[in-house]
Amino acid sequence: VNPPPRPALRRASPKRREGSCRFSKDVLALHVEGDLPDASAFVSSHLAACEECRRFVDGLHASQALVRSLRRETVSRAECAGMRREVMSIVTDRHEGWALGVERAIVLGFRRRSYALAAFAVLAIASVSVLAQMRHAVSGTTRAVAVFEAGDVLLRPENYRDWIVASAAATSANAGRSTASRAPSHTVYINPSAYREYVDTGKFPDGTLMVWESTSHGPEIPDGPHSRSPVLLASVKDSTRFDGGWGFFDFTGPGGTVVSRTQQLPDSSGCRACHLRDAETDHVFTQFYPVLRSASRLDGQALLRMGHVFDPSSRLAPPDAGQASAVTSDAQPLPPYMLGGLRRSLASHGAQVALPRGRLRA
Amino acid sequence: MEFRPDGSVLVQTPLSMSRLSHEELSREADEVARLVRLTLGGDSAAFEQIILRYETRVMTMAARIMGARDEARDVAQEVFLRAFKYLHRLDPQKPVEPWLMRITVNVCRDAARRRQRRRNTFVDIDGPETIDRSADQYAGLARKQERLILQRALDSLPEKERLAIVLRDVEGLSTAEVASILQSSETTVRSQVSRGRLRLKAAIERLIGGES
Repeated sequence: VNPPPRPALRRASPKRREGSCRFSKDVLALHVEGDLPDASAFVSSHLAACEECRRFVDGLHASQALVRSLRRETVSRAECAGMRREVMSIVTDRHEGWALGVERAIVLGFRRRSYALAAFAVLAIASVSVLAQMRHAVSGTTRAVAVFEAGDVLLRPENYRDWIVASAAATSANAGRSTASRAPSHTVYINPSAYREYVDTGKFPDGTLMVWESTSHGPEIPDGPHSRSPVLLASVKDSTRFDGGWGFFDFTGPGGTVVSRTQQLPDSSGCRACHLRDAETDHVFTQFYPVLRSASRLDGQALLRMGHVFDPSSRLAPPDAGQASAVTSDAQPLPPYMLGGLRRSLASHGAQVALPRGRLRA
Repeated sequence: MEFRPDGSVLVQTPLSMSRLSHEELSREADEVARLVRLTLGGDSAAFEQIILRYETRVMTMAARIMGARDEARDVAQEVFLRAFKYLHRLDPQKPVEPWLMRITVNVCRDAARRRQRRRNTFVDIDGPETIDRSADQYAGLARKQERLILQRALDSLPEKERLAIVLRDVEGLSTAEVASILQSSETTVRSQVSRGRLRLKAAIERLIGGES
């Protein structure tokens, strides 16, 4: 039994209505070619009773017969042969681009399981490699470079707080202490690339940028030689730009603010003289920066055990002859990488000590 | 499914114009799959065999959609060039013919748009707008006039309705097959076919000059 047609099929919009019968012409248009088998009986019964719809369907049959007459028209073999020859000549001569070749290799390759696994492996290796390079590139972009403007005007470095902390502030340790006994209330930063160079070679390269930032503002808390309570200081190593290789800058503005650019401080400020005289390593007070000291692979305790007299205020004194090779039973092996740093350090301080060859123990 | 007098069975392939028995269908599918593999392996002669199998179908369909044989030749050429280019994308488990039909429809769409742009640029100097009436509204028309009227009526249809009418009523495909080629639903195709038939009837009657 054929189910009755859906009510929606019976409705005819006013626009589609022709004549007085409201029967859907859309339904009739489908009925003429047998596209509504489920509603065929229903439509046929309506057509038997409705003269207007019968005429309409006759017209549809006529137009459909005209449309179907197109089926008799086919193209000739000769036309097809001509087209085929042209296609084959193009196909034979044409070279596809590399992108299509890659796509084809991937698509066809993935239809074989072994190829698919190999492709996944290559893709994974390539992804890891690219990601590693990206990470390296990102870390490289954070390398601080001193940016000068109009001669020796230095722009305040950005993101310096993300750099290597050479010396951390000890503000909490100052609670209750007198001014004279206070620990430094400042933090010293060094740019990462210069830090790495220093670790590797024991020397500060050109481009080294160190930032000194106070964590306690106000003239009532003088901090060592910086008694004028600056907020942000910087020192830059650039042998081509500054006498003695280093330039010193103060970004402290009026009222304890920080300015975005500043001129190099003159020698009359005393910065250069103090850093030259008292700093342990190339104008840098490494004696106060344990991070730099340990990073230079020249451990102070190791030096002491080696017989050196180490005092931050009085510099490094060479040991007595023969003590450098002293080996104690409970000593730990000195890592080989420390030998180079030790030689460099001793040489930079004028110590002419012949270190023993082979495995040195500290 | 139909039973032949010799006892074999006729089944409808994915495209109902191809009517082959189970065995013939299976052999044909295996042969085409082999030709596809050879083509992908670089054997252009195998691709020529594929063209030979489907060229009449593709070119005829293009001629019916475009309404002009010279354009149909260009369309068919483009269809087979695209097929050669993207043969690797064809699912080897699926038949080639519906895939070629889909490409044909897409190429025809592109060609129709180019033709429309040309018409917008140059004045159409084709034949007269109206046809002399004959005594019999349909049967009395000369074949050439019939062809002209029909082509104009088809051209007056929106693209989607024209494609649905050509595929369903001229090519004789089922609604499901048309929906597959047009990448649409059967309901949508049925609606387009219904509207297209009504518009076509009205257009033919208008061109002939008669009223129903």
